[in-house]
Amino acid sequence: MAILSLKDVRKNFGETEIIRGVSLDIEPGEKHAIIGPNGAGKSTLFHLISGLFNVTSGTIEFKQNEIQNKTPYEVNRLGLARSFQVTNIFARMNVFENVRCALLWSCGYRYSFWHLLGKQHELNEKAMHVLEQIRLQDKALFPAGELAYAQQRALELGIAIASGAELIMLDEPVAGMSHSEAENAVELIRKITEGKTLIMVEHDMNIVFDVADRISVLVYGEIIATDNPENIRANPRVQEAYLGEVAVSA
Amino acid sequence: MSMVKKLSVWIGYLVVLLILPRLFDSILAISILNQMAIGIVFALSYNMLLGQGGMLSFGHAVYFGLGGFMAVHALIMIESETAYFSILLIPLIGGAFGLIAAIFIGSFSTHKAGTVFAMISLGIGELIAASSLIFVSFFGGEAGISGDRTFGPLFFGVDFAQDLEIYYLSAVWVFIATVFMYLFTQTPSGRMANAVRDNPERAEFIGYSARRVRFISFCASGLFAGIAGGLFALNYEFITDESLNAITSGRVLLMAYIGGLGYFIGPIVGAVILTLMNSLLSNYSDLWLLYLGIMFVLTVMFLPRGFAGFIMMHQVVWLRGNLKSLILPYLITGIPAAIFTSACIALVEMSHLEEEVFHYLGLELDPSATLTWIITIAIAAGSFYATRRSVGQLSDAWESANSFPDSEDR
Amino acid sequence: MLEVFIFATLNGLVTGLLLFMLASGLTLIFSMMGVLNFAHASFYMLGAYFAYSISQYMGFWAGLLFAPIIVGVLGAGVERYGLRRVHQLGHVAELVFTFGMAFLIEESISFFWGTDTKNYRYPDILNFPLFTLFGQEFSAYRGFMIGISIAIFIGLYYVLTRSRIGIIIQAAITHPHTVANLGHNVPLIFMGVFGVGTALAGVAGVIAGPVLTTFPGMAAVLGSIVFVIVVIGGLGSLAGAFIAALLIGLLQSYAIASDVGVPDLLNLLGLSFERSHPLNDLWTLTLPQVAPILPFLLLVLVLIFRPTGLLGKREQ
Ligand SMILES: Nc1ncnc2c1ncn2[C@@H]1O[C@H](COP(=O)(O)OP(=O)(O)O)[C@@H](O)[C@H]1O
Ligand SMILES: [Mg+2]
Repeated sequence: MAILSLKDVRKNFGETEIIRGVSLDIEPGEKHAIIGPNGAGKSTLFHLISGLFNVTSGTIEFKQNEIQNKTPYEVNRLGLARSFQVTNIFARMNVFENVRCALLWSCGYRYSFWHLLGKQHELNEKAMHVLEQIRLQDKALFPAGELAYAQQRALELGIAIASGAELIMLDEPVAGMSHSEAENAVELIRKITEGKTLIMVEHDMNIVFDVADRISVLVYGEIIATDNPENIRANPRVQEAYLGEVAVSA
Repeated sequence: MSMVKKLSVWIGYLVVLLILPRLFDSILAISILNQMAIGIVFALSYNMLLGQGGMLSFGHAVYFGLGGFMAVHALIMIESETAYFSILLIPLIGGAFGLIAAIFIGSFSTHKAGTVFAMISLGIGELIAASSLIFVSFFGGEAGISGDRTFGPLFFGVDFAQDLEIYYLSAVWVFIATVFMYLFTQTPSGRMANAVRDNPERAEFIGYSARRVRFISFCASGLFAGIAGGLFALNYEFITDESLNAITSGRVLLMAYIGGLGYFIGPIVGAVILTLMNSLLSNYSDLWLLYLGIMFVLTVMFLPRGFAGFIMMHQVVWLRGNLKSLILPYLITGIPAAIFTSACIALVEMSHLEEEVFHYLGLELDPSATLTWIITIAIAAGSFYATRRSVGQLSDAWESANSFPDSEDR
Repeated sequence: MLEVFIFATLNGLVTGLLLFMLASGLTLIFSMMGVLNFAHASFYMLGAYFAYSISQYMGFWAGLLFAPIIVGVLGAGVERYGLRRVHQLGHVAELVFTFGMAFLIEESISFFWGTDTKNYRYPDILNFPLFTLFGQEFSAYRGFMIGISIAIFIGLYYVLTRSRIGIIIQAAITHPHTVANLGHNVPLIFMGVFGVGTALAGVAGVIAGPVLTTFPGMAAVLGSIVFVIVVIGGLGSLAGAFIAALLIGLLQSYAIASDVGVPDLLNLLGLSFERSHPLNDLWTLTLPQVAPILPFLLLVLVLIFRPTGLLGKREQ
């Protein structure tokens, strides 16, 4: 039984159709990568799944719930967390608070105004643990907006994974990182998504082939192939549409 | 901060609140202290919206005023014996009414922050202020309504006829309100208010409805504004439409902003500064509102984090033990700046004076003599030049004081 | 009945056009710079005061010419030395800054001109009835106000649609980030737009001063209503502001001129209440009484049901 299932999802911005009938099934525990040229609609697809945009037509099911008309927070509460391509953190709060806020709902605090956060030891330990995972424990009290770029990307990741959602969606998590930073990040992603479902947009083919069980290739709003890494590598249409380009430029 | 340290700050706060009327015990001082008490609660409640929740309101007086009106009505009811309870609880009546108003208005106004929220708050503010003049039986029209706080059951024999007695009552309420507003910032809802302020979009992806989070802050803020309105009613025993119109809304914005939005104590600082200016300066000069306007605009431009922010800027320097290195540079820039300010004030006042002699800083100036003007202008120009020239050394000193041992990262 | 209606329409038109003169500058500034200028009506007030002072020495027409220029230069100065600095601190700071400016300008006017009402009058050659209808006179000055407003809009329209700078401004409104890439000096354009916008407010002040009385509270009287108009019209939409300005001008004018109220409604329904009824104020409410709150009621309704305003596209 698929954990996430898209059926003929379409999205128009005004006249132009950006997502043109995407159908995709993601199995529980699967590590799925979405690749494709810039402007193909990968981020838009993420926005549709996570509830930021409404679909123009089609259905999206997450754990047997139709979510295509749900708001981001409703989708998130079902157990889907995501990161953003453009860093999207709580800039004026410190790093620790950023992560702790990301934990609040999943730890059941809801809109409480009767719990004092300082006294929630379990919550605070969880938050510290996430900080250790993303290697920002020294920066716990540092304002998030003043972190270096790579650290902000790490925090972006931390906010996404903190709540322990079943399905994690990462939009170009290592873009703009140096080689060693990216390696660390990939290692981290691998570790924290163990036993969970991951959907990841990534440009670096080494990482994609390394992490993913299956790959979908999105070109001009359509998925032209979904398969395991070997077959994708061998697929002539994919090579023509996408990999060729990368191979040349790389 | 450790538990003990935190506790001692709170105890210190309470002690200061209670000891102030011993240090300043004139009638004027007590009246100023009472105004401060009201201002502190009101400004703190405003900061829940703007500083912590990112909602710029131009109509916060609505909750203050409605709370205040209800509180005066409660006083009237106690007096006419339709109700029987101690006036100690009057601020709660104000708070309850502020909360009800906030629940009603917040249910549609917290949909968006930013300009839309600001405009709705402005519209509602004007709407209620204008309506208050129409519904005379509740608001009393231009004259307002008045009550008497000496009725109802006595509190250990105290009837609260004296302003000093009301001050102690207010001080306790101020303390309680401050504690609760502070504790609110430490709860999930309070913390999520910061998150929504910083980035409402992302907050929705960690499970929270930005609107709901804003709504909760908005209601809490209305509650405490209403409590402040209740304190106002107790102190003055009357209330007019001014308490819920744009003047009061503007004043609380000024208090919170001048004090510093980003800090919990900011609004307290702002309320103290503004009340002092209001009460003291207005005795010396008719032009104090002009000075206030200038000060406000300069604060927005040069101290975006307000006075509290200015003080906190020195925390790092202080922790590094470099505060002493700043004293001399501050004096070098501060003295000419102070001279410049005084000279400007002299010019402004002289141009507006009706008397023959202008008493200023212990001097007796003759505004009708050209020489007085020439000298004052010369002093202003000279000190301005000196200030400009010395700003460079101050910012250099500031930078070196800040950057000393810290060589890690960035 | 008909005469009441005609005069209410004419008066509503005068007010509406005046409001639009203010709202157009505010809209231009908002579209370009993304900041709602709280002090806009203060520049309108400055226009009236400068025109008053100039008219003391050189007559009304000199005031009409010079006062808006002075106001525009002051406005440009505020942008250059104040707003530009605050801009980096974000929208809230900008809005608060203009709020502070409104406060400061009002206090400065009290300082320089005093708090009393100024005897600022329109010129004698416009002091005659333009026409008389059903025994009521319509003053030539009001006709002049209508004329000059319309002339300015036509001018503005031409500048915005036909001139080079107008096209740059339009581009900046629809694509705020691209204009700089085209090599235009955006700060200069901002300063110019702010100057022109405030100068327009100045013109409104010059011609409104004599009829709406020139006193330090005149900005507060119109200030929030102008805000209401740009928000109802849709932030950043000139056409929307035009419709909203006329709508509000007429609405208020009709409300004031009408003499109906809740009592008439109750009569119609055959209901009546004792004078001592606790909600007596409500049962005796008349339309002229609620005229001042109608714009705000409309604002709140529009913001709840259509946050983008009548013709607006952008929300922030
Ligand atoms: N809010 C929007 N309005 C209009 N067009 C959009 C919007 N968001 C994205 N697009 C367009 O959709 C296309 C796909 O964008 P995106 O999903 O960001 O691509 P990718 O992430 O694959 O690089 C682009 O052409 C982009 O211009
Ligand atoms: Mg993308």
